[in-house]
Amino acid sequence: MGSQFVDFNADGHLDYLTATFDGSPHISYGSTEGFGEPERLKDAQGQRILISSIWNYETGKHENLGRSMPDGKPCRERCISALAFDWEGDGDYDLLLGSYENGHLYRQMNDGTNAEPRFSGRNIPVLAGDAPFALPAKMTAPRLVDWDGDGDLDLIAGSFGSCWGPTGTGGGVYLSRNLGKKGQPVFGALETLIAPQPKGGTEPIRPDAGLYVDAVDYDGDGDLDLVVGGYSMWTPEARPLTEEEQATVARLQKERQAVQKQQADVMAKVNAEAAKSAEGLERTSKEYRQKRSEAYAKYRKQISAIQKESQRLASQIGELVPAPQRKSFVWLYERL
Amino acid sequence: MNIARLRRLAWATAASTILLGSQGSADETGGVRFAAPERILAGDAFLGEERLYPSPVLYDMDGDKLPDVVVGDLFGRVTVAHRSAAKSPVAFGAEKPLHDRDGKPLRFHNW
Repeated sequence: MGSQFVDFNADGHLDYLTATFDGSPHISYGSTEGFGEPERLKDAQGQRILISSIWNYETGKHENLGRSMPDGKPCRERCISALAFDWEGDGDYDLLLGSYENGHLYRQMNDGTNAEPRFSGRNIPVLAGDAPFALPAKMTAPRLVDWDGDGDLDLIAGSFGSCWGPTGTGGGVYLSRNLGKKGQPVFGALETLIAPQPKGGTEPIRPDAGLYVDAVDYDGDGDLDLVVGGYSMWTPEARPLTEEEQATVARLQKERQAVQKQQADVMAKVNAEAAKSAEGLERTSKEYRQKRSEAYAKYRKQISAIQKESQRLASQIGELVPAPQRKSFVWLYERL
Repeated sequence: MNIARLRRLAWATAASTILLGSQGSADETGGVRFAAPERILAGDAFLGEERLYPSPVLYDMDGDKLPDVVVGDLFGRVTVAHRSAAKSPVAFGAEKPLHDRDGKPLRFHNW
């Protein structure tokens, strides 16, 4: 959920622009009383602004649409970030839309004004150097910042990297300098600001995955630092266990396996009953999910008790054999 | 294009990798260097802890000319941690929900 505070509708109040995993940009307009209820941005045709893939709240399904792509074909890219940027330097905000899957960036031009925007509904790929802007390992969100102090806005962006498990390579932060001029931005090839690193440490030392970045002079020393949110993943170092402790671990792991089998058996019942009651319904439909929820509700108390027991055993095992950790933090990279 | 900008362009073209983050070391092209990353505190807790993909943005929310930290997440929830007035060290108060004009926590829609 990359965010931008901007007076989007030029009414003198700060607005809050963002995009979520439903595939569209959202805005909460500010006023003297504060922020209003968030709403999705619409184009000049009154349709949701998107890249291609969206969650349709009315039908309760994921959909893949081609109406905004240059060739009119769906491309399975989901907009999860949005920025207001006056691309043409004509005084009104256009939109930059960031895609999750391929790390692409698109611009959608505003043919109206800030007070009465008319977004075209057509996405134009943004280039980084001679190639389409494409962050490796999926993009979280881009930011506009004058990184090199030359008076125009550059782009920095973070990537997701491997988001699960204690191994694999994490995400990074990248820069694309604006080498053009006002009204004619030209973004350069991607440069690495924070390199992705292999996961697998024994303590949290950096954000590993899902790197959301902002640039700000954090310490007031005149240069831009980076503030980065994300997940750190590590496995604490294990200490040697006595024979008695090893036996305890073996016993607890056996008990936990038995509890996990109980959980699998109950979920199999839930799935079977849901499938029977939802026969004929599309699996991605709201009605199917409703049937599944009803089946789950019958066994909720039992599932909850099993989960509680599983967590209790995991916790006891964890006291002797450290489990992989995955926790979210926000980090400061202070520029030297 | 002026000479200063030409020099910046030449440097930017030559420097394809600028930084190595967690080791706090400089790259060989003499580019930007960062200190080893540190977790930011908000009050007594770590900022962004127990959030689904915390996404920070710094903005002066209370008009005191100091950037506060606003953190969004995958659920669409938004919190703000206000920067304390002391210039050094930089410190933030505990995270609190950012409220809308009706006094409810601001919440963006997500599936």
